[in-house]
Amino acid sequence: MAATLAYYPGCSLKSSSKFYEASIQKIFGRYGITLKEIEDWSCCGASAGHTIDERLGHALAARNLALAEKAEYDLFAPCSACYNRAKVTNEMIRSDSALQAEMNRAIEPLQTSAAIEVKNIIEVLDDYVGVEVLAKDRKYDLSALKVVPYYGCVLTRMMRVKPYDDKENPESMDRLLFAAGLEVLRWPFKMECCGASKTLTNKDMTLRLSNRIMDMAITLGADAIITPCPLCQMNLDLLPALGRTKESLPVLFLSEVFELALYGKMLGTSSHMIGADKILIKVREA
Amino acid sequence: MNDLGFLKEMERKTGENISACYQCYRCTNGCPALPEMDFSPHRLIRYVILGEREKALTSKMIWSCLQCTTCSVRCPNDIDIALVIDTLRKIAVKEGKAKDMDTWTFDKYFLDSVKKHGRLYEMETILKYKMAKKNFFEDTKMGMNMMLKGRMGLFPHNIKDKRGMKALFEKARGE
Repeated sequence: MAATLAYYPGCSLKSSSKFYEASIQKIFGRYGITLKEIEDWSCCGASAGHTIDERLGHALAARNLALAEKAEYDLFAPCSACYNRAKVTNEMIRSDSALQAEMNRAIEPLQTSAAIEVKNIIEVLDDYVGVEVLAKDRKYDLSALKVVPYYGCVLTRMMRVKPYDDKENPESMDRLLFAAGLEVLRWPFKMECCGASKTLTNKDMTLRLSNRIMDMAITLGADAIITPCPLCQMNLDLLPALGRTKESLPVLFLSEVFELALYGKMLGTSSHMIGADKILIKVREA
Repeated sequence: MNDLGFLKEMERKTGENISACYQCYRCTNGCPALPEMDFSPHRLIRYVILGEREKALTSKMIWSCLQCTTCSVRCPNDIDIALVIDTLRKIAVKEGKAKDMDTWTFDKYFLDSVKKHGRLYEMETILKYKMAKKNFFEDTKMGMNMMLKGRMGLFPHNIKDKRGMKALFEKARGE
């Protein structure tokens, strides 16, 4: 189903995870989903915004929402942190007119009335492509690949806003991976924290937390970890650089799985810190 | 001396019904940052209820928190514990009681960069933080690896409406 969305790349997809953007463009392009990058978008403030100042966090998110609203398209944010901030602020200004007025004063002359919806990559693939099409369309056999779905913290853990999937046991990405023809393993760390932005302020903490996630995936016999979140991907992919000496599994973005299913290769192979070669040899022509 | 107004102050600032806590420990059981904490999340909530203002504000644990919100979504009494912690951080910094300024310092540099450029300028933010911490060479290997893989940019990302961004910061923060 053809669709057009306002695209909010966020800082990661323009720097540390450029290959995620390329991968999304490739897959979305195939299914007729047009992404219109938001004109002059700015940083959502991530966790720093609300930690330093709650109102500033909302204002930073509101600015981008207003820009997307002006273009009259729903907003697509592939980064989980950006998605969380945009969605929470959008729903809060929708239900709280005082907050909406305050934010509109801060972002003047821009204005937002929360008229659009905020979507993540899983929702976009579900809503505009669907598991049936994804399953029928695959050209390569990925059945030799065992993977664990790693959603990360902030995609569905929302307190005063209803998340798009279960807060503690989301299954939407499991279904998409199943449609791609992979073996999806059950595991307890779907939402376990990778260490988030502590990588710079407390490296040992990220090492400890990301190590646990990697060890669990290896123990269960997985070949790769699949995530939609650029910060999760980054932290896990950095494990050898953070001091992990044991074996590490490649960490793929969700869209890269569909690249494998459709084209048998990934545009961003060389951007992975942990080499993905071991899984590429398991990809067979269907 | 226990500050009996502390619970009210915190409930007002967070909008959370903190007094509903019945110490079930679910927040503590799910916390991934527990090994880094000087005491656990359920105890923090107890301190807030009992008016142990100093213990809460001068704790290390409020700074070890990752804001993953596992505690919040698991709380049977619907208390947003991560928000309570986030709020305590702000009070602790305001009153000069923060025990660990690293997270705050980094977040501040992060926002300075956004205020200046509109988007995060990673290199500048990291270098400023490293200079403040005086551990310039600790992560150079990691940084070099990232650069070699094309995953760390050298240049800023400036938006066009920098003036609007500056105004946004000033208006939202009442500066």
